Amino acid sequence: MISAVLFIPLFLGLCSLLFKNRIVNRIALLASPALYITIAIARWLGYTWHVLPDWLLAYFSFDSIGLFFFSVMAVVFAATSVYSLFYFKEHDLSIKQESIYVAEILFFVIAMTGVILATHLALLWVFVEATTLTSALLIYFEKKKSSLEAAWKYVYICSIGIALAFVGIILLSVGSKSIGSLFFNDLYARASEINPFWLKISFAFIFVGFGTKIGIAPIHAWLPDAHSEAPSPVSALLSGTLLNSAFLGLLRVQEIFNRAHSEQFSNFIFLLTGFLSLMVCAVFMLRIKNYKRMLAYSSIENMGILFIAVSLGKPGVFALLLHTLSHSFSKTALFLTSGNILHIYKSKKIENVQGLLQKDSRTGWLWIISSLSILGLPPFPAFISKFLIIKAFWLNGSSWLAIPFFLFLVVISFGMANAVFKMVYGKSQFEEENKFKLSSFAYLPQLVLLLVLLMIGINMPQQVFELINNAAGFFIN
Amino acid sequence: MTDFLIIFLGTSILYVFAVSRIEAFVKLLALQGFILFLLVIIDIREINWINIAFLSLETLVMKAVVIPYFLLTVIRKNEIGREVEPYITQFYSVLIACAIFFFGFIAAFWSAKIGAGIKPLYFGVSIVLIIASLFLIINRKRIITHILCYMMLENGIFLLSFSVANEMPMLVNIGVLLDLFVGIYLFVIFFNKIQSMFDGSHIDVLTELKD
Repeated sequence: MISAVLFIPLFLGLCSLLFKNRIVNRIALLASPALYITIAIARWLGYTWHVLPDWLLAYFSFDSIGLFFFSVMAVVFAATSVYSLFYFKEHDLSIKQESIYVAEILFFVIAMTGVILATHLALLWVFVEATTLTSALLIYFEKKKSSLEAAWKYVYICSIGIALAFVGIILLSVGSKSIGSLFFNDLYARASEINPFWLKISFAFIFVGFGTKIGIAPIHAWLPDAHSEAPSPVSALLSGTLLNSAFLGLLRVQEIFNRAHSEQFSNFIFLLTGFLSLMVCAVFMLRIKNYKRMLAYSSIENMGILFIAVSLGKPGVFALLLHTLSHSFSKTALFLTSGNILHIYKSKKIENVQGLLQKDSRTGWLWIISSLSILGLPPFPAFISKFLIIKAFWLNGSSWLAIPFFLFLVVISFGMANAVFKMVYGKSQFEEENKFKLSSFAYLPQLVLLLVLLMIGINMPQQVFELINNAAGFFIN
Repeated sequence: MTDFLIIFLGTSILYVFAVSRIEAFVKLLALQGFILFLLVIIDIREINWINIAFLSLETLVMKAVVIPYFLLTVIRKNEIGREVEPYITQFYSVLIACAIFFFGFIAAFWSAKIGAGIKPLYFGVSIVLIIASLFLIINRKRIITHILCYMMLENGIFLLSFSVANEMPMLVNIGVLLDLFVGIYLFVIFFNKIQSMFDGSHIDVLTELKD
C-alpha cells in the first residue's frame, strides 16, 4: 500500500519525462490521484497489504492522523489534476512542457506523501526539504521575471528555514540520548525521559524551520509571492496540501510535548504566532490589490487559526482537523477559480476585474461561494470549526481571547468580501457577445469540492466524522 | 590532532569575513569539506565500513570536490570577481565575527560543564559556523554568496551532528545528502536565470513582488 503511493506515481512521473507523449501525461496525471483516492478509501475500510521489506516499512506508516491528511491530499490532488487538463489546453503547452509539469507535480506529491507517512523525525525532515526542491521549479513554470523572483525567494528562504529545523532535530537527539532513536513511536513512548531543556531549545529550531514552510507569521515572507506567481493548479496544491503536510510534521513534534507534559511552553508559542498571523493578514487584507495574493494571505490567516486551535489542546483538536479539511478544499476551489479569472481578464489586479458575473456567471458564482466557504459562513464547515474554536476558548478558561480572535476574523472577512464583490459586480467593459464559457474541466473540480463541503457542513457523513475522530485520537491530552 | 583541525576550521571562518573575493570563498569551502573529511577519518568510532564509505563520499567527494568545482565553474563562467559593498562594512563584520566566536566559546564551555555527551570544541565551532553563515547571508548582497553561505551553514550542521555523536540511520543520511546536492543544483539554475533575466545579480534587483 505504502509502496503503491510512493512508487507508482514515481514510475508514472518518470514515464512522462521519458516518453514525452500527451496520452502518457494524461494517464499519469489522472491515474495517480485515482490511485490515491482508492488507497485512502481502502484504508478507511480497513484493508492493508505490504510489499516493502520490513526494514523500509518501519520508516513509513498509515496512522490515523496520517490517513486523515492523506485523504485530504488525495482529494485536492484529484481536483488540481483535473483542472490541469484545462490549464494545458488554455495555455497551449508544448508536449515537453506538459511532461515536465506532470513529472514535477507527481514528484512534489510523492514528497508530500513522504512527509505524511514518515515515522522517523529526520526522515520527515528529508521529505519536507524535498517538497521545497520539487515545487520550486513549478513556481517558476511560467518563466516570467516575477515568477523567477518568487521561486528564488521560496527555495532559498525555505531551505535556510529547513536547515535550522535540522539543527533542532540534532539538538533533540542530544536530549533524547537515553532513547537513542528518533522514531516518533519511541519518542512518544518515552517522552518523559527527554531532557526538558533540550526539548524546548530543539522545539524553537524545529518550529522556525517547519513554521517557515507553513508560512506562519513572522516567517511567511515567501508565501504570498510563491502562491501568487505559481500556475493556479500549483498554487492550489501549495496552499491545500503543502502547508498541511508541513503542519502535520509540527503536530507530530508537538505531540512529544503533550506526552512529556510540558505542552504549556509549545502551546504558548503556537498561540502567539497564530494571533500574529491573523494580525498580519488583517493588516494586508484591507489594502490588497492582487487577488491571488489575497488568497495567499488568507492561507496565512487559516494557518494562524490552525495554530491557535493547536494551542487549545484537546478541546481544539476536532476543530483543528475540521478546519484543515475545510481550508484545503475551499482554498483549492478558490485558487482554481482564480485561474479562470486570470484566463478571462489576463490580469491579477483586483481593479482590472469587474463584472465577473456578467462575463462568466459560472466562474463568478464559484468565486462568491468558495469565498463564503473560506470566510466560514454557515452552512460551510469552516463555520463549525471556528465556532468550536471559540467554544474551546471558553472551555480552556481563556474566553477573553475570543474577542481579538473574532475581531481579526471580522476585519479579514470585510477585506476579502470587499475585494470579491468588487470583482463579481460592477460593469464589465466587454460587449455582450464576448461572454466566456470555458471547458467544463475549469468548473467541475471546484463544484465537486464545494458540494463535498456543503455535505460535510449540513449533515456530516458518519465516515467523515469517524475519520476525523480517529485522527483526533492521535493526540493524548 | 582533531583539536588542531577544528581550530583550523574555526579560523577559516574568520578568513571568510575578511575576504571579498568570491573565488577565495569557494576554495575555502572546499578546504572546509576536506577538514571535515579528515575529522571523519581520524574520529572513527566504530568499524562500520558502509558508514565510513558514505561519510567519506559525502565530505571528500561532495563537499570538497564536486560542489566547489561546480560552483567555481559557474563563477568563472559569469565572471564574478568580488562581493559588492556589504550592508555592514568589512571592519565591523570582523568585530561581529569576534563576538560570534566569543559566543561559540561560551557554548563550548557550557556544553563541557553540563556533560550531555557533547564534544565541546566541535559543538562550539559548529555553533560559530551556523551563526556566522546566517550573519553573512543577511549582510552580503550577491546571490552567489548566498549560495556559498548556505553551503557553509550545511557544513556547520554536519559538524554539529558530528559533535553529538548520535548516528542517523543510513536512509536519512542518504536523503540529507541528496537534498543538499539537488538544493545546490537548483540554486545555481535559479542564479543563472536571475543573472540573465534581471539587471545584475544581487538581491537588490529582486523588487518585482511587493504589497
